[in-house]
Amino acid sequence: MNFIWMLFPTQIDKFWDIAKKGAVVIMSLGRVRVLEALWRLPATRLSASTVCPTVCRPLSSAGARSGPTSPDPQEQAGQVQQRPAKNTSKAMMAYLERATKHEEFMRKQVHEFEIGKRHLANMMGEDPEHFTQEDVDRAIEYLFPTGIFDKKARPKMRHPTEVFPQQKAAQFDATGRPFHTLFYTLKPNFYMTLYELVEKMNQLDRLQAKNDALGKLPDTTQKLSLLGSEWLDIEELGKMLVETLKEPQYQEFVRAMNRLVEHPLAYHHKDFIFKYRKMLRVSNETDTVPELLFDSAGRPYMEATGYRKRAVARAVVHGRGSGRVTVNGLPLVHYFHRDGGRSGNQDVAQVMYPLQVAGVLDSVDVEATVQYDGPTQRYHGKRRRGHRKRTSFVPEPWKRPHPVQAPSSQAGAVRHAVSLALRSFVDKEMQETMRLAGLLTRDVRERERYKPGKKGSRKGRTWKKR
Amino acid sequence: MSLYRSAVRLLPACLRVTSRRALVTSSARTKDHDLHLPTPAGPLGTWATLKPRPEKYVDTEADIDPSVTDPLRHPDYFGVRELFTMSDLFDARVHLGHREGSLNPYMAEFLLGSRLGHCVFDLERTAQLLRDALNFTAHIAYRGGIIMFVCRSPQHVHMVERTAMECGEFSHCRHWPPGVFTDSTALFGGVTRLPDLLVLLNTLDTVLEQHGAVKHAAKMLIPTVGVVDSNCDPRLVTYPVPGNDDSTTAVRLYCKLFSEAIRRGKAEREKSAVV
Repeated sequence: MNFIWMLFPTQIDKFWDIAKKGAVVIMSLGRVRVLEALWRLPATRLSASTVCPTVCRPLSSAGARSGPTSPDPQEQAGQVQQRPAKNTSKAMMAYLERATKHEEFMRKQVHEFEIGKRHLANMMGEDPEHFTQEDVDRAIEYLFPTGIFDKKARPKMRHPTEVFPQQKAAQFDATGRPFHTLFYTLKPNFYMTLYELVEKMNQLDRLQAKNDALGKLPDTTQKLSLLGSEWLDIEELGKMLVETLKEPQYQEFVRAMNRLVEHPLAYHHKDFIFKYRKMLRVSNETDTVPELLFDSAGRPYMEATGYRKRAVARAVVHGRGSGRVTVNGLPLVHYFHRDGGRSGNQDVAQVMYPLQVAGVLDSVDVEATVQYDGPTQRYHGKRRRGHRKRTSFVPEPWKRPHPVQAPSSQAGAVRHAVSLALRSFVDKEMQETMRLAGLLTRDVRERERYKPGKKGSRKGRTWKKR
Repeated sequence: MSLYRSAVRLLPACLRVTSRRALVTSSARTKDHDLHLPTPAGPLGTWATLKPRPEKYVDTEADIDPSVTDPLRHPDYFGVRELFTMSDLFDARVHLGHREGSLNPYMAEFLLGSRLGHCVFDLERTAQLLRDALNFTAHIAYRGGIIMFVCRSPQHVHMVERTAMECGEFSHCRHWPPGVFTDSTALFGGVTRLPDLLVLLNTLDTVLEQHGAVKHAAKMLIPTVGVVDSNCDPRLVTYPVPGNDDSTTAVRLYCKLFSEAIRRGKAEREKSAVV
């Protein structure tokens, strides 16, 4: 059987050295042929020892590293391995140079951060030895007050490892041979995940076939519940794999994972699935309801603050009461006197609503104080035409401020405060009922700003055809 | 493989496969010089005009037979010819090509002809070229070269990646970003050692387009071993292996053969390193 001579040295510069020695190289149709000139070179030059590098990685370790059980990428990052091998490839030398530079840079940054922290502590008059990150944040907020809304745009001082992105450790050995079998895909960790996913799908299919043969059904008690969790988003997944992912790749990942989850035997790989899911936190589970306080008379009470638009209310709810509600020292119906005729007093109804829902209308007392901190509201009274002489200065009815400023926002704030305080008096079921009724949510709706060219926030000026 | 040939001979003449010359011209038989087959460009002319490979070179000046000491001078150092037989190729349906309409003219010489519109590969030729390809792969593995498997057929991606993992080599069966070879320093973030051999289990990316790796490997002087189907272009592939690239049985056979060739090469390398 005939063969064609091929010489592919591990380093491209070796190839050109040989070419310079007088071998004629012809390239055609993608083939590289070294002609008879090479045949005449002494056999020793072409022996295996010169062409095959003596530094060769044992196959067992290469196989182990390229298998699916490669170490966690996040653990690998940050470890630089100094290998002063003789036959170090260009790739490895370039990597070592990059890695040492990065190490040097990080060391300098960390040093500067530590020094800066000590200066900051001295400035604030605190102990530099026990200056924590929280103290640093407080100090920066104090020294650099800012009105910028976006929290990410505000000045901050963090440890360099949090600020600068993680870098992957050496991806290849001294000869330049990569460790990971999917290295050339540019996203080895991501595509390894997809490979493992398919492997698990195939495993489950085989298991199902076996079960079908035995007449076994999937275990419904162990069925996977994905409620309360969602897939990691593209950034979080990228951070976990230490690789930046693109949208089509992420979509492919989500579709594949959903297919795995749909398999009736998916519960066998619960750990693998939940590695890529983040748990959603329900706020009412995490919000701890405070315990009841007791005053000197042994009467239970609870305090809470409520908000609505520009009003802030502070309510104290006393147990063992008789249903008396006072606002700013006045009885409820006297403070909120805005009567709607047949529709009744809306503000009073708003304040009574949480007590009604909780069923404690006649068993608690409420003392509330409320403040309105917004622009002065002027309510239009009847405007009369004609000149009217005034003896002392009294503004016209439509220019006078209303006695109770912004009553509906004040009532809303009191309602919120009372609801929050009432949580301590009722059981979990009733708390959930109150939450569903919308009593515990701070209404974030605020007045929309005026825009130039409009009459108010939305209403336009009169349109003229010409 | 005698069974294959005898089966063909036993067919009545009307059902026998038509000659490959009839594929490109009208139904009337024509002489060679009337064929309007395009000649592959290049200084060596068509495949058919390539000189036959010389028999084993014997250096009369050498004291000992160099084929004993130097693996490169041995005709089949790793014994790849024993890895498969023609009947294995036949059973794996390697001889089945696509329809005549999608035939690439440069593939015509690798066919026996067509049967009811379906192209049929000449398995003798395929076997010869496959042995060359396996021998080359084994030599590259023997010298510690990086071998990369490429396959874009979705149903075979998992199999090919597993094959690559099991023999300790590399694979790229995903979307091919242009610049993986030609702009590797920028994409990998530093000087990277590129593969020393590409094993393409199908050379087409989508149904119509050639995989970028074929051209880029040729640009970067990386030799390629490629399974070329009847709708593929074999010109840029260093070691084309004409055969079916769509059937799962065929791809499984190729994976088995290439991984075995690589394993033999590596085993020999370990042996020589130890010794």
